[in-house]
Formats: sequence, C-alpha cells, structure tokens
Amino acid sequence: MKHSLLFALFAAPLVASPYKVEDIKFPAEVPPEVGAIDFAPDGTLFAVLRRGDVMRAKPATDPANWKWELFATGFHNGCGIDAVSRDKVRVTQMADFTEATDTDNDGTADQYRIFAAGWGLSGNYHETNTIAEDGKGGYYIAIGTASHNGPTAEHTLGEYSKFGRRGRNFASVKWRGCTLHCDSEGNLTPFCFGFRMHNGIHQDSSGNLWCGDNQGDWRATTPLYYLEKGNFYGHPSALVWDEKWPTDKDPLRTYREDLDAYNKHRTWPSVQIPHKEMNRSAGEPYEIPGDFPHFPGQMLLPDNNSKRITRIMLEKVNGKFQGACTHFLNGNGLRSGNHRIRFSPDHQQIYVGQTVRGWGKEAEGLQRITPTGEEPFDITAFNITPRGFRLTFNRELATALTEKDLKFKSFTYQSKWTYGSPQENKADNEIKSLKPLDTKTIEVTLAGFKPGRIYQLDLGKLKSKDGMEIQNRLFYYTANQLP
Amino acid sequence: MRALLLTLFGITLASADPLTFDTTPLGEKDRPIILRTYVPDPGLDPAVFPNHGKASKSPKYSPNSGRDTKGEYGMLKVIPAAIAVNHGPALSYVWDTTECRLLYAWQGGFLDLYPYWGEKNRGGRRSFDYGARLVGNLFYLAKPIKRERPTFIGYDLSDKGVLTFRYKLGDKEYTEKIIPSDKQYSFISYLDEDKLEYKGDLISKHQGFDRNLKIKSATAKAGEQVFGAYGCIACHSTDGSNGHGPSLKGLAGSTRDIEGGEPVLADAAYLTESIKVPNAKTAKGFPPGYMPPYQLKDKEIESLVLYIQSLAK
Repeated sequence: MKHSLLFALFAAPLVASPYKVEDIKFPAEVPPEVGAIDFAPDGTLFAVLRRGDVMRAKPATDPANWKWELFATGFHNGCGIDAVSRDKVRVTQMADFTEATDTDNDGTADQYRIFAAGWGLSGNYHETNTIAEDGKGGYYIAIGTASHNGPTAEHTLGEYSKFGRRGRNFASVKWRGCTLHCDSEGNLTPFCFGFRMHNGIHQDSSGNLWCGDNQGDWRATTPLYYLEKGNFYGHPSALVWDEKWPTDKDPLRTYREDLDAYNKHRTWPSVQIPHKEMNRSAGEPYEIPGDFPHFPGQMLLPDNNSKRITRIMLEKVNGKFQGACTHFLNGNGLRSGNHRIRFSPDHQQIYVGQTVRGWGKEAEGLQRITPTGEEPFDITAFNITPRGFRLTFNRELATALTEKDLKFKSFTYQSKWTYGSPQENKADNEIKSLKPLDTKTIEVTLAGFKPGRIYQLDLGKLKSKDGMEIQNRLFYYTANQLP
Repeated sequence: MRALLLTLFGITLASADPLTFDTTPLGEKDRPIILRTYVPDPGLDPAVFPNHGKASKSPKYSPNSGRDTKGEYGMLKVIPAAIAVNHGPALSYVWDTTECRLLYAWQGGFLDLYPYWGEKNRGGRRSFDYGARLVGNLFYLAKPIKRERPTFIGYDLSDKGVLTFRYKLGDKEYTEKIIPSDKQYSFISYLDEDKLEYKGDLISKHQGFDRNLKIKSATAKAGEQVFGAYGCIACHSTDGSNGHGPSLKGLAGSTRDIEGGEPVLADAAYLTESIKVPNAKTAKGFPPGYMPPYQLKDKEIESLVLYIQSLAK
C-alpha cells in the first residue's frame, strides 16, 4: 500500500489511468510466445516459451532491460510451469510433465526427469496442458482437447477412442478434455471431465479450484467453472475417458439428440461471461491477493482473444458459487493473447503472459500491470437477494441513485453442439424498488426476478462524491440460485 | 555459436542462445540442440510402434450442421512424443520417449519447422500439414524389435548438452547415448557401456518444406529470398564469419581450395554445381556430405547464384 501511495503522489499522470501497462522485452529475435510464467520462491520469474525454451530473469524496474538467461530447453509447447526453485522447474508439455533441474549450479538445467505421464497425445496441434498447484506438493492438470482444424497422427501416445475423435474439439486419446490430479509423487488420477479447452486452472487461497474455458462447441459463452471431483462440465467428447460412461455410447451424438439429459448431467458454470461484451476466450483465472491495492480477494480472468482482463465478484448462494463479471482492464495498452497471470512477490504488480500463435493475429509477449493510484470508482460487491441485487460501490456516490441510473435485463444461454449460442429468452427487468442502505450501498428489487438467468446491469455515468467517474458501466450476474 | 554472449538492444543474455524465429535451427557438433515437436515419420515400419495407440480415419464433421459430412479425416505422419536432437550437419536423430529407442538418424541438416512455426510475423501453422520436415540425408531407420514395454525416465545433459537417455525395461534401468562419428552415414551409440558404431547407407534425401516461391525471372533479390526461405544462413554466413559451410562473402570469382582435388574458380558453373550436387566438390576445411542436395527449381538456383555473385566484394 505504501508503495502505491508514493507512486500516486509523485508519478500520477494528469489524466489518471488506473493502471500502467508495460511491455517486458525478451531478447530480440526470441519469439516471445509465452506458454506460462511462474515466480520461484527467490523472486526469479520463469517463462516457458512455446518453441521449447525456459527463460529466467530477476524482474527489473526497466521493462526493456531484463537480464534473461536460458535455463532449460527442449519442451514441446509448454503451457504450464511451476518454478520450484531458482534451479528447478516443472513444465507440462504436450506429452508429459517434466522436471528440469540444474544439478551442478552452472545456471542451466542438466537433468530432465518425467515427473508425471500417462495422458495421451494424438498428434494434434491443439493439445496443450496447464497446471495449478494443489497446496500439498501436487497439482491439478488441465488436459486440453484437439481441434478439428487439424488431424491426429497414425500412431498416438496412449489409447485411441473413435468416439472421442468425433466432433469439433475432440478427445481422441486418453484423458483429453479432463482435469487430472497429480500427487506429489507424480501419480495421476482423473478428477473431473468435460472440458473443451480449459487453458488455465487455479486454486484460490481458500482451496477452491477454478478454470475457464473457450466459447465454442458446447460452450454457449465463456464460462468460469468451480471444479469438483467426478463432475461433468459439459463438453461431451471427454466422457469417453470417464469410467462411468458406457463404452459403446457416442457421447457427442447422445447429447446432441437429448439436451434435457445433457442439462441434467452437466455442472453449469458459476459465472457465464458474455463473449463479445466481456471475454472471448478465458485464460487462467487468478485470485487477487489480499494486499493488492485494487479489488483484493476478487478474481481476474484474462481474455486470450481480446485486449481485456475480466474482473469477477463471487459469492456463495445456497452453498454454490456464482457471481458477477465486469472489466478489470479493457485496452489501455494491454495486448491481446492474455492467458497466464502471476502477481509479483510483493503482490503490487500483475504479470500477464500472452500468446495466440497460430490462432488469428499474433499477440505474443509478457506485460506488467501496475496500479497508478487508488482503486478506481466502481462496484466492488455485487450480491444477489431473494428479489434482486445489493450493489456496493467503493466510494460515496455524488447523488443518491434513481431508477434512471440503472437498467436491468436478463437472458439465458443453452450450450450445445453449435459454436457458441445466442442469448435467449431476453427480458427487461423493471426496477420495482431502489433503496440506499448507506452512501455506498443500494438494494434493488426487480420485476420478473427468477433463477437460471443471467442479469445484465447497465449503469449511467455515475460520479463519486469526490468527483471520480465510474470505471465500469456494464455488469453481468449469473443467477443460478436465488437465496 | 549458441554459447556467445549476446547483447541485443541492451538486453544481456548470459547463457547459451535461445531458439529464434529461424525455422531451421542448427546445433553444433559438440553442442547439440534438443527439440520436442511433431517430428515426421519418414517411413518407419508400423511394427516399430507396438506401444503406441492406433488411430483411424474419422468421418468429416461439419461444425455448421453438427453432423458428419462427406469425406474422412486422414492422419498425419508424425510421431507425437519423440525427442529430436541435432549436432549440426554431423548428425540429427529422433529418439522416442514411448518406445524408448532411436527411431531414425540423418546428416546434413536438422528440421524445417516452417509448417509448424510459420513466419515471424504471421505465425500461421499449416492446418493439416504441420509436421516438421527433415533436412538432410536419412541413413538409419529403426527396425521392429520384441521386448517388454519400456518406461521413459528422462535424460541427463553433459556440460555441452550431450544427451544420455534413461529408461526402464521391467525393473532394470538402461542408458543410451548417441553421438556423431567422423564418417558419412554413421553415428556412435552407447547402450549403457556398450559402444557401437553404426555405418549405414543413404535411404532418402530431404530438403525441408517447399516454400513455393514463384520466381518469375532470376534476380539477386529473388536469390536472397531463396537463401532466407531455405535457411541457408544456418551454415553459410554472408559477412565472412565462420560457419558449418563456407561464407558466401567474397566467394564468387575467388579461387577455391578443394578437398582431394585441384583448386577451382568459383564461377557460375561451380556455384550451380555446388547447389545442385553439393558433394561433387568439398571446400577445403569442411567435412564431406554435410550439405543436402536441395531440389530447387532452375530459376531459384539461378537466383541464388546471382545473389552469391552480388556478395563477391
């Protein structure tokens, strides 16, 4: 806090932007295709680049003057990294989870060992994997699917399933489209099933496990999922790797023909994030640490396909997580390709790893986001009530809000075989009453308020009492449950 | 080359060189580079893959209708979980982490990753054709063997990065190391302590991915394009500095010393021959059989000669 306050006093620009976004440069001619990043306990930042190299550097203040060293090499599309120490990393590459250690202390890894293996690799270009630490020396591993925009090899790593091969994104080899648990000894067990491309997985400080996914087939829009053992998260292909699924049944065909059965079987997203308006392709969810100056305890969700990072406000209703989303950062010098997040060891800066190579216009690199001052004027808590919402602003409002300042609409999504789904059953939800609880908090009751819908809030150009303009004017709350 | 201390735009790099946008990376004889990627299957007996799964053709799927459509998806001739190693033009090989054995070896180049990595500014993988291409002369292909299912443990690197693979058959652990020999179509392998020198014959020639440059008329500028497209710079510098092959600076019009032959004038005929049949004459001080014979179109060769001549001064 002290740090950011000093910054605000001495370096704040005249037109205040809440964040400074800097481009951290890799050496020229090094393709900055950042598969994953992680800080070692000593503060060294490691980045695994998709062509195979693991680079490391101690963060420098000057973004263009980092002393990068090549630490390890020879990884195939590494998209998950745990920097165990300055001398040891573990990387999930396409085929396995490999540990690379510098045993003779010369600055480069000389010992490469399989830490865990057992998932398949069909030979498709899309089958990347990433990790989250489980807090007990082990990991959760998100095993990505293949894309129909590419083939498989003739000889696959692991068992091949012809039903798993069906469809747009597919899971033709073992455990594709699943989340695995990997214990501290490297033993793998399937944890949950049914992902399209959960390019990012994160365990928060309370031990809850989260992942996003990419809008597409069986993904109406960008979801945020709360992961629990044994559940099915809605992309059918991976069911061929669930022992509970009959081996002679084509899951894609089954659920294409029976959406009711599909809806009963699947676990719905905790938050559904409108694809065009908020987040086209979720990267790694990441909890904002309690001592970061802005929105502590909330969750960030980088957008891999736009210059945005989503901010998510979660709550538990009837024992289940759900919540609201808005922008954390939209443009302001941020590149596209955002998919990995780490906070600096002092929790005052955010590092974002970016890559899309081979998917649309390139957006590769590493950026650093630093708050330039105090938390911008915004909604910091978005809570559901039995008849509407309670909204909490982080500053006193200039004037008491009226019905004209807020507009609520709602809609539903049905995931199916199509690439994304439209917003359906749209309705306007008239404000029946608006009640200030104090100078920062209001409660609204809405007409036609029902569960199972996503509520959109459009805010007017609100001002705080101390003259700040509201940062975000668009919010979506996923009301799976009413309290 | 990879051990140089680089200072690029004020950024210091204190260790070996990382990979770059170059899609035809090349290591050194005593300092190899290691790539995990989708390496090509250059015609291995399917029985070499007893521990792999077996894919099949699959009906084409229409994302628009959500149903099968006409045709089938074919399969790519790549190996999913192998390690490719390159000791410069002296030796390249592919060692598979599933079968835990050497699958094939070649000389004269490494891999052309262009179909997978694409161009610097566009990325651009080739959709159904992204397997890396071999560059060089293939001289060893593994034959089927009968043994129990192996388990890959990992590998160790020597000070210079030479690999020793480790794997298990049952409870017994084995190591394997493969290094270049000084001979053509040859390598040395160590299975635990047992040394074996393999000497083979040419099986097939490979020149990377055909860039299909569509040159209308031969010019030095087009030649520079060909030079860039095929990654010639990996061996031939244009500034007089040393490499795996002779520098092109000052080459045209000079008198060249030849291994085991009379000196020759580097005229257009010599330059053309050196591209078409690179091992007809070997420049003094360079090993024979390193450069693969690129099957370039006439206009591409003419353009290359003009480009080399433009570097005469």
